[in-house]
Amino acid sequence: MKFVEEFRDAGLGRVLAGEIVAAVDPERHYKLMEVCGGHTHSIYKYGVDDLLPENVELVHGPGCPVCVIPMGRVDDGIAIAREEGVIFTCFGDMMRVPGSEQSLLEAKAEGADVRMVYSPLDALRLAKANPDREVVFFALGFETTAPSTALTMKRAKAEGVTNFSCMCNHVTIVPPLRALLDSPDLRLDGFIGPGHVSTVVGARPFEFIPADYDKPVVISGFEPLDILQSVLMIVRQLGDGRREVENQYTRVVPYEGNLRALEVMAEVFELRPHFEWRGLGFISQSALKLSDAYAELDAELRFATPGVRVADPKACQCGEVLKGVIKPWECKVFGTACTPEHAIGTCMVSPEGACAAYYNYGRIARDREVV
Amino acid sequence: MDSVTPHCDHTTGCITCGDEAIAMEVLRVDEERGLALCADGDGAHSTVETALVEPVREGESLLVHAGTAIGRDSERGVAA
Repeated sequence: MKFVEEFRDAGLGRVLAGEIVAAVDPERHYKLMEVCGGHTHSIYKYGVDDLLPENVELVHGPGCPVCVIPMGRVDDGIAIAREEGVIFTCFGDMMRVPGSEQSLLEAKAEGADVRMVYSPLDALRLAKANPDREVVFFALGFETTAPSTALTMKRAKAEGVTNFSCMCNHVTIVPPLRALLDSPDLRLDGFIGPGHVSTVVGARPFEFIPADYDKPVVISGFEPLDILQSVLMIVRQLGDGRREVENQYTRVVPYEGNLRALEVMAEVFELRPHFEWRGLGFISQSALKLSDAYAELDAELRFATPGVRVADPKACQCGEVLKGVIKPWECKVFGTACTPEHAIGTCMVSPEGACAAYYNYGRIARDREVV
Repeated sequence: MDSVTPHCDHTTGCITCGDEAIAMEVLRVDEERGLALCADGDGAHSTVETALVEPVREGESLLVHAGTAIGRDSERGVAA
């Protein structure tokens, strides 16, 4: 495919890997976090980490939308899905995320009308096609996905669709990064910044990382050469004593982001005072809810939900994996009790989760084989 | 199976669950409704909301996530 193969060229990959080897200080260890689950997936799919020197370690961040949804929110969704006359819609991976007793897929098997959609607009179309039913959309995702939900809610309001509502679980990327940087568990040297979140929010929101925490950020594309080049840019910043936000993904990411998308989001959403992240606990102002102007389309105001906080299963160490404190294979249940087919934790459910990426691409050995 | 029909497997997952957008080429523009018919890299077609990136034109490459264009890919498609 034109403009894809170029970013997967093995020869160029080896050249970049050589430049990284030449740029690193052999006396120090580099611990870099890729924030986005899409990067984690690409790194293991293409074996990017095998091209890096042994003293460059990639740790995986919290940027997997499905992984960070706590069990209590799944239970709330299931309670709505079981209401008489409701068609409950969500994205595919979300259907398999375990709640305290079952997943949405299991609720569907028991008779709840749960349907997968690719877009919130599909859910709105479903509402218009079924005027005698209540259609609820379970919205989740970071700033990449939130504009789509915002536009859909605007359309629903403008078109007067009253049998449609949204259970909003959108989260924002900056607060968990700040929480990670404040955490004593983890000492990071730099960040591979999220490419498609930045398409919407731009590069400016990440300026606090070099300014307040003295660490470099490079916003990166998702192809293997993008990631290798971003690692090189971070290593060079560290070597030169620079700390700044650089944009490797200039072909897609404008520094200011998509102003129209930000405007629509500001109209439709407002920040929640706090939100629970799976494994990370409550983080202030880290999630979105519908604004007062759209309250009539808020499923949490339209339906009763248990709203009970449910602790993660004791065996599951998704929290430590999401914070990059442990590698997936260091979790006690990785690849044994917890597999993609029978996931205990969310990091094994979504292919963007670090555990699923390790499992699906055979990274279950405890030692890396460096080639 | 095309990429428009909802499906999800354990390896590739649901394209909208991840926070990753895909590049799609604009085939036809419906300015009045703010929509465009687009094709992904495998040739599968889908209708995309274009309100956040208008104006769009045939042949250009949009970055699409959850049925909505959120940006452009300046190195693909016709020159901007």
